[in-house]
Amino acid sequence: MDAALIPEGVKRCSFPKFMLGIAIVGAVLLWGVYAMLLCWFKGLNQTNMNDYYGFALWIWADLAVIAIGGGAFFTGLLKYIFKIDELKNIINFAVIIGFICYSSALLILAIDIGQPLRGWFIFWHANVHSMLTEVAFCLSCYFAVLTIEFIPNILENRQLNKVPFFHHLAHNMHGTMAIFAATGAFLSFFHQGSLGGVAGVLYGRPFAFREGLLIWPWTFFLFTWSAAAFGPCFTLLVTRITEAVAGKKLVKDNVVHLLAKISGWMIVTYIIAKIIDTIYWATVTAPGLGFKMSHFYTNNGFYGYWILIAEIIVCGVIPGLLLINKTTRENPTLRLVAITLGVIGVCLNRWVMVLQVVAVPVMPFDTWALYIPSWQEVATTILPVAYGIILIAVTYRYLPVFPQEVELNQPTAQES
Amino acid sequence: MKVDRRSFLGLGLGAVAGIAISPVGAKLTDDLSIWTQNWPWTPVPPDGEITYDHSVCSLCPGTCGITVRKIDGRPVKVEGRDTYPVNNGGACLHGIAGLQYLYDPSRVRTPLRKINTRFVPVSWEDALSLVADRLGELREKQTPEALACITDTDQGSVAGLFKHFMAAFGSPNLLTMPDLESWLAKAAETLHGSGHTLGFDLDHADFVLSFGAGLIDGWGSPVACFKAVAGRKQRDAKLIQFEPRLSNTAAAADKWIPVNPGTEADLALAMCGVLLRENLFEPEFADGFKGGFMRFNAMVQEKYPVEAVADLTGVPAVIIEETAIAFAKAKMPVALPGKGRGDGAQSLKEFAAVHTLNCLVGNINKKGGTFVRQNTDYLDFPYPVQDAVARKGMAAPRQAASVQELTARINQSGESELKVLMVYNANPCYSLNDPSSIRTAFEKIPFKVCFSSFMDETAMVSDVILPISTFLERMEDVPSKAGFAGSVVGLAKPVVNPVFDTRSPGDAVIQIARALGGTLSQSFGWRNYEACLEEVAAGIWDDLIRQGYAVLLNPFPAEPVTTDFAFLAENPETIQPAGEYEFTLIPIDNIGITTTVPASSPFAIKTVSDRIIKGQDMFVEINPQTASGLKDGGFVTLTTPAGSARVRVDFNDGIMPGVIGMVKGLGHRFDNKYVAGKGVNVNDLISPVIEPGSGTDAAFGVKAGISRA
Amino acid sequence: MIQDKIAHKFGMVIDLDKCTGCGSCTVSCMSENNVPFKEDESDKKDSITWMRVYRLTNGKPFPDAQIVYLPRPCQHCGGTGDHGHSPCVSVCPATATDYGYDTGIVSQIYTRCFGCRYCMVSCPYHARYFNWWDPVWPEGMEKYLSPNVSPRMRGVVEKCSFCYHRYQLAREKAYVDGVDEIAEAAYQTACTTACPAAAITFGDLNNPAHKVHQIVKPDPHPDPMNPGVVGKSRNPKVFRLLERLGTNPKVYYMSEREWVRKLGDSYLEGEWEKVKNIYGSASQ
Ligand code: SF4
Ligand code: SF4
Ligand code: SF4
Ligand code: SF4
Ligand code: SF4
Repeated sequence: MDAALIPEGVKRCSFPKFMLGIAIVGAVLLWGVYAMLLCWFKGLNQTNMNDYYGFALWIWADLAVIAIGGGAFFTGLLKYIFKIDELKNIINFAVIIGFICYSSALLILAIDIGQPLRGWFIFWHANVHSMLTEVAFCLSCYFAVLTIEFIPNILENRQLNKVPFFHHLAHNMHGTMAIFAATGAFLSFFHQGSLGGVAGVLYGRPFAFREGLLIWPWTFFLFTWSAAAFGPCFTLLVTRITEAVAGKKLVKDNVVHLLAKISGWMIVTYIIAKIIDTIYWATVTAPGLGFKMSHFYTNNGFYGYWILIAEIIVCGVIPGLLLINKTTRENPTLRLVAITLGVIGVCLNRWVMVLQVVAVPVMPFDTWALYIPSWQEVATTILPVAYGIILIAVTYRYLPVFPQEVELNQPTAQES
Repeated sequence: MKVDRRSFLGLGLGAVAGIAISPVGAKLTDDLSIWTQNWPWTPVPPDGEITYDHSVCSLCPGTCGITVRKIDGRPVKVEGRDTYPVNNGGACLHGIAGLQYLYDPSRVRTPLRKINTRFVPVSWEDALSLVADRLGELREKQTPEALACITDTDQGSVAGLFKHFMAAFGSPNLLTMPDLESWLAKAAETLHGSGHTLGFDLDHADFVLSFGAGLIDGWGSPVACFKAVAGRKQRDAKLIQFEPRLSNTAAAADKWIPVNPGTEADLALAMCGVLLRENLFEPEFADGFKGGFMRFNAMVQEKYPVEAVADLTGVPAVIIEETAIAFAKAKMPVALPGKGRGDGAQSLKEFAAVHTLNCLVGNINKKGGTFVRQNTDYLDFPYPVQDAVARKGMAAPRQAASVQELTARINQSGESELKVLMVYNANPCYSLNDPSSIRTAFEKIPFKVCFSSFMDETAMVSDVILPISTFLERMEDVPSKAGFAGSVVGLAKPVVNPVFDTRSPGDAVIQIARALGGTLSQSFGWRNYEACLEEVAAGIWDDLIRQGYAVLLNPFPAEPVTTDFAFLAENPETIQPAGEYEFTLIPIDNIGITTTVPASSPFAIKTVSDRIIKGQDMFVEINPQTASGLKDGGFVTLTTPAGSARVRVDFNDGIMPGVIGMVKGLGHRFDNKYVAGKGVNVNDLISPVIEPGSGTDAAFGVKAGISRA
Repeated sequence: MIQDKIAHKFGMVIDLDKCTGCGSCTVSCMSENNVPFKEDESDKKDSITWMRVYRLTNGKPFPDAQIVYLPRPCQHCGGTGDHGHSPCVSVCPATATDYGYDTGIVSQIYTRCFGCRYCMVSCPYHARYFNWWDPVWPEGMEKYLSPNVSPRMRGVVEKCSFCYHRYQLAREKAYVDGVDEIAEAAYQTACTTACPAAAITFGDLNNPAHKVHQIVKPDPHPDPMNPGVVGKSRNPKVFRLLERLGTNPKVYYMSEREWVRKLGDSYLEGEWEKVKNIYGSASQ
């Protein structure tokens, strides 16, 4: 039915089957859209946020998708700037994932703010001292860059590519992609960093506050580094899932191994920095303000030391070590474990840096504040996931996302 | 030109691009944000000229002067009046929230008549003639004493008009709600003879010995008491608080001495014993002692030895001795009776015993002491014109000394002797112990008229409701109440026209009397209430008009005082809490929650702690030492002889082990989502116990059991 | 326009030994500033209360338990070094909350705020409140609203303004009266004037003639131990909340009781003993 749109030389499932899948995910998407409309029309009383939880699930989701979407800028940086050419086989997909993550982040922000119709005040009345201003500018610019990076891939669709203008446009855009990749990397450095800064500058919140370099607290650098380290894990994880769903290999092992290795080394260096940062914070920064480390991890029903161990050791040190070691890295199961842990780890870090920050009592007579999101928050957070799945399904079906797919799936070659 | 698909597409794209780069988008974006800044459903209060009106707050017995800020005549803020001789600036949260009462969702907006359990609006004329017809029947049948009337207080010209009405009508059954005023008057009457009342010069006293008086929890004139307590530091005055729990007053006191609930009278008598034993009473004042002083002395020495009282009260013997001696040695000591707000169920024995301490140390009618003074009658009502029916009725015996005694009597009899009941500004069906028995009694009275601003529990059981203007919509004289040192009458003035179809209670009474005709009409010859007030308060009218208040007694009373010990010498029995349970449940007065009329405002309820109300549920305080098996914040069933309730527990180190504290003033059951339907009315759990000496309910608490729900 | 050249630094000191926890300040503030209310206000985490009175206990068992009440308006933080970079002001991306260098007052512009709530996250005092709901008054009750403070719409943050409109009115009056200084009594906040216990003293911390200055005796020099902290009180009974964080509040508290003063900040074991008798006890 839609055969004319499907890239040449590849096999895709039947159109009805495809549509069935889309419909199922689409139902979840509609549920999210319904919740989103409730939030817009009835207001944020639809959430379980409160005056202690000004930032909650959504801001976590924002930070998390941007962190794991970091695979796009980092892979782009490696491919176009550091000229690691093998990565061309996964860069399209990294860009699509990035595009999904960043568009989701913007959508969530538009739901999260109390006055969405005034959202543009952040640009118009910008306060240059605010990390959120920096985030807003860099995020929007980088999203534009990602869109530009995405366009050539779209234009490679079999039908679109027949239009000579589009064909040439795509070709020329590929040529200039290095400039965009560089811009993207630069912007990403700042917005990933300023997202870290969002928490780190909170000098009224000893759990979040960090000293730093010039105007940037250490969390600025830690966030950038962790996005670069764990973003590729997510790219690899989604690739692996897509392969599992499609039932075939889409990217050659050497490419995967290479990206996994780079990610591994990034994780290891990041986690060393993170451990140093944590030790310094726990022994110098927080005590200097009168807080013992135990203050942040005891006397409440949820946040214990387990979360620190889970984030840093289980989901940091372990995936790092698994990925830098050749044998474990090249073992598909262990690699899957490592990249999954890595993705969880960075998400946990973002959780802690948003939700634990506001959960901890600061005034000596205040108490811990715990929170469970409302269904509207959960639905609107799942909404981007559904949207991402649909976008991946559509792009995978109609665009030549994986350059190695045809080669890896020669029917005759495999049979002989 | 042929419009094909391609050119159509191109045109469309071009149009989109054109709009995108045109200012339309920007303009629309801007307009949308401007729209959000001017949402039509977010009110924009109109601006105008600022003026200030002085008036007096009569929401509680505090009688604070207030200043109302108005914008083009529209009241926008109530604040304490700086130059008013009761509060001298500052007001409590209820007074400040006073404007909310004007527009309260539970206000009665028009006269109502109950037809088959439903209220239907009627005109004032119809409502008044309905009432007059029923009252007229009583007089036709020559049974005017079958009318009873309950008012919140017996002070002021509105209460005076009700009294005047009852006298002209011919019924002795005029009752007031038990407030601090009435208890102090009873105590003064018992010890010093009728027509007396008590005041306390807390602004100057240097040693205040409070037997649970919630000086900053709403006792007496609250704002004046706040000031006296807060000003202690400068005066180097001490406050000692005996109380079973760490109330705000206890916390602010120099010393909090926990005492078993209900044993305050015994404690005071033991301290009297110490003073007498140590010869620490003041000889000059003792000249006025008569009526059984020697018997009293012998009685306390015999029945209230310090050691035994220490066991009973939980206050160590040395503390009893030391405190008694420190009290006697202080320059300006004052002992205060009246637990919490001092209203509701109290005990005459306790009031008398505590005040006896004042009498023994003789700091009476002196600066920084207790004022024993004649009731200040600034109102000069003419004698009512009584016909034979009225005279006969007035000669009939009074049915009861208190509302509770009255309702108990009705409940015991087959048919109510009372046929008509008028209730003014009181909510006995909520604010007295065991209100359901009060409701049952009321149901038996064939016709009830409620003069009320709000559709509260008592209004709901009435047959006719006459909607009364609130204190901000009407004129009224507001005399300061007992407990307060001075004697000030303020003039409340309407700061705004009645918001609804309401009238001043005085006008309503006059109009009913007029409708009855005959001697009643003759007794109420005034054109309207304001004319009546001007006439009966003629002696102070100039002051009232000129400065908004009149000071009656200045600086303090001078007449000689005699003290009669006969009542206490008989050693009246101390009231015990009913029931056989493990704990003693006591009501707690909280300054943010009113317990009588009116119910709290939405603002007041907003200030209440989430350790008192959470959602619909309320908490009771319990000491963790006696809360084994319970969980802080967990649900429990509280059971007393009067009933049971599902509540949550609040572990509180500031309450005596074995005592459960429960905030009073919650659990309203009328239609006001901001205020009603939250928590449980503690009165529902307490069965009244009538104290023989006072004829009034003295159940300060009740025995209670607690189990996990 | 009045030549209000000298920079003011409005602040208050609250005597916790006088405060009775009566809540007059809270209600006066709500009434003065058109604060809305809703059916259930028992969830204190979404209950708009510019002036919140906290109940503090000494944590001891019966009969040694003690209570103190601590009223908490916005602290009008001067920020680290008192340079005006208050925790909230420095993070607001849309400049919807700003530091008044002429008054020391932290403003909130409701029509500018777009509801990102970053400022709330930044404020350790929980002085900021979000309008989760449209404000709705029972029928007719909107008639008592004051024109001096605009009611806020859903989706924006609000907080104590030190009754800024009263400052404006006082300034206008001074202009009309032809005086070029606003008298101490001419600008007093609604909580201050309502307090029956006279626990709150409000005025200009920069003006030695004002009572608040005389009680607080603010130290103009940075704390040598913690250079971000400026304006510490030289009265040993006076302290600020969380002073060690360097937020530099302009709301000071006062108490004779040591346990109360200690509850104003966080101290590691042994630290309090070393600093408790040093003025502005947060030094270490
Ligand atoms: S204390 Fe009583 S009289 Fe005074 S303002 Fe409060 S409610 Fe009114
Ligand atoms: S108290 Fe909070 S809202 Fe007020 S200035 Fe300080 S940080 Fe800002
Ligand atoms: S919620 Fe409003 S005031 Fe607060 S940071 Fe965001 S825009 Fe600024
Ligand atoms: S200063 Fe004004 S705005 Fe601030 S808490 Fe006091 S009354 Fe409210
Ligand atoms: S009004 Fe005064 S005494 Fe009452 S809570 Fe506020 S500060 Fe304390």
